Amino acid sequence: MRSPRWLLLAGKEFRELLASRAYWLLLLMIGPLVGQGFITAVNLYAEVSGAGGGPAALSQGLSPLDGILAPSFGAYDLAVTLLFPFVAIRLVAAEKESGALKLMLQAPVGVGSSLAAKGVVILAGWLIAWAPGLLTLVLWKSYGGHLHAPEALNLLAGHALRAVLAAGVAAAAAGVCSGPATAAIVTLGFTVGAWALEFIGAGRGGVLQELASFTPTAALRGFEQGQLRLSTVVVLLAAGAGGFVLAAVWLPTGRGWRFRVVGSVLVAAGFAFVAWGGSLVRASWDLSENQRNSFSKADQAALSGIKQPLHITVYLAPEDPRLTDLERSIIGKLRMILPRVDVAYAAQSVSGLFEAQEDHYGEVWYELGGRSVMSRSTTEPIVLETLYQLAGIEPPPASDEPGYPGYPLAARPRSAPLVFYALWPLIVCAAWWANYKR
Amino acid sequence: MLLSVEGLSKRFGSNAVLKNVRFSVRDSEVLGLIGPNGAGKTTLFECLAGLTHADGGDVKFRDRTVAGARRKEALFYLPDAISPWADQRVSWALGFFGGLYARSKTEVIETAGGLGLEALMGSRIGALSKGELKRALLAIGLLTRHPLLLLDEPFDGLDLRQAREVMALLKTHASRGRTLFVSIHQLIDASRVCDRLVLLSAGKVVGEGTLAELRAKAGLSEGGLEEVFLALT
Repeated sequence: MRSPRWLLLAGKEFRELLASRAYWLLLLMIGPLVGQGFITAVNLYAEVSGAGGGPAALSQGLSPLDGILAPSFGAYDLAVTLLFPFVAIRLVAAEKESGALKLMLQAPVGVGSSLAAKGVVILAGWLIAWAPGLLTLVLWKSYGGHLHAPEALNLLAGHALRAVLAAGVAAAAAGVCSGPATAAIVTLGFTVGAWALEFIGAGRGGVLQELASFTPTAALRGFEQGQLRLSTVVVLLAAGAGGFVLAAVWLPTGRGWRFRVVGSVLVAAGFAFVAWGGSLVRASWDLSENQRNSFSKADQAALSGIKQPLHITVYLAPEDPRLTDLERSIIGKLRMILPRVDVAYAAQSVSGLFEAQEDHYGEVWYELGGRSVMSRSTTEPIVLETLYQLAGIEPPPASDEPGYPGYPLAARPRSAPLVFYALWPLIVCAAWWANYKR
Repeated sequence: MLLSVEGLSKRFGSNAVLKNVRFSVRDSEVLGLIGPNGAGKTTLFECLAGLTHADGGDVKFRDRTVAGARRKEALFYLPDAISPWADQRVSWALGFFGGLYARSKTEVIETAGGLGLEALMGSRIGALSKGELKRALLAIGLLTRHPLLLLDEPFDGLDLRQAREVMALLKTHASRGRTLFVSIHQLIDASRVCDRLVLLSAGKVVGEGTLAELRAKAGLSEGGLEEVFLALT
């Protein structure tokens, strides 16, 4: 990878990236997009913090992760879905279209090296596009805002993995399809398919819900909540790498159809195997400062004494907000501690509005070691008390840990409009011109 | 024998483009591939270079069979009608290929000079005329280190003076030990530059040899390549 030839390849790809109008357009648009998110977020944060004379209690528990970081970097989710794939597709498909691929396939470098160079450069280009996002962190600190490094870095990791996945999908589409237009349609089709899967899989349980938890938006949501799940990291990396390997199977024009079909099947099988193995990995870390994804230390210690599998039967429909509460505040946290948590979603309808009384709607049954108990609550202390009773465990004494203080800040986004709406576009235009004249 | 081709065939759907093609390429010669439009010249080159999957046949380099995926170690094929890296400058493209094949800067400059590219080094590839682009691509081909170069229509787009200069340059490279296999649709050009010829018609080799040998095969006592071509195809 570090040979002079590989560096030559990387240099070529970087020049091609800088020659791409799509990339400059991405850079030009990302500044105002991020700026808009940041400015809106800072103003809203200030209002909630009492800038407009609101009640003081509202500002307690305010988290910069939810209030500033996630909305500011939300622009990158939009860009990686709608803009970034075109940049990645161009880097792979342009050589097919222009005939350069015929020269490169004969060059003394393998297709794998060539695609690795493209992948590295695509991601480097994406990191350059992070400049406005990183500027928001600098500005936020300059306003006196608080940042918790682990949760901020975790969010950045989530966006980086999201880009790896998008680059892999785009590379695969560009490698398999005959032209960039078809590749773009396939990539957007993947995005729409992922949205559909997430919608369909929500609250259904089983393989469908497991799959839906690895769709780009769902995966990123975990990082935005300060959670780092190893399974998500493994699956997203495998999907990204799998896309590039698939492109490597299809790009050599001299390979016959049998090679391509068998190669594609092997790549799909390899990805499925790694993804399946990865999805079984339960390791996860709560990197949020307010520890929102985990129970208190005392509760975690008490719950870790439960070694038997816990079966939960939920009679709540996918569109019922109580199900979301239960997933986030109870089931997700239990999965981090207990060795095995099986969840069955038993509601008969999607909305839950027309479920009959005899359908047990609203009930949540917990079964442990042959005993079961029902609760209708989705509130953490009540469910925990139910579980302690079920497991025959003495509840821990009330915790005297200091609670999350919250970081209210009634600051206005000084100079941010100038930076994101004027300076950034000017810098991008000047850089484009300097590169064009080079 | 540098390269020998036995029974090469290629089919696109129901259309058989190459049918049991067989011929050989000798060391340090300029071998011409001639044939009417649609004869299968480009497909033959792409199959030889391993860029198109052949349905059958055997390609031997120095008496050893070389699989399609490994042909790039033996030969380099320069396609016609490509416009690679249109936004980059000629100097970069030549420097890039010079770097890939461990050529010195002097060699790159000399190769560019031999094709009259000095004034075009700062131009973008996408802004070159057809003839300029052809010369830039030829420079890329000549910067490689393969003993055998396959050039698809190397004189297409060149004016008379440029074509003659490029012919002389290719002859010089052949005299230094490099073998050239060139497809040419201008028969006058072919008879000027090629030591031997392969005539391809409707995917079949209908003749191989020097002009005199082909003339004898066509049963002609005199006449140029045009007459031989018409007689054999």
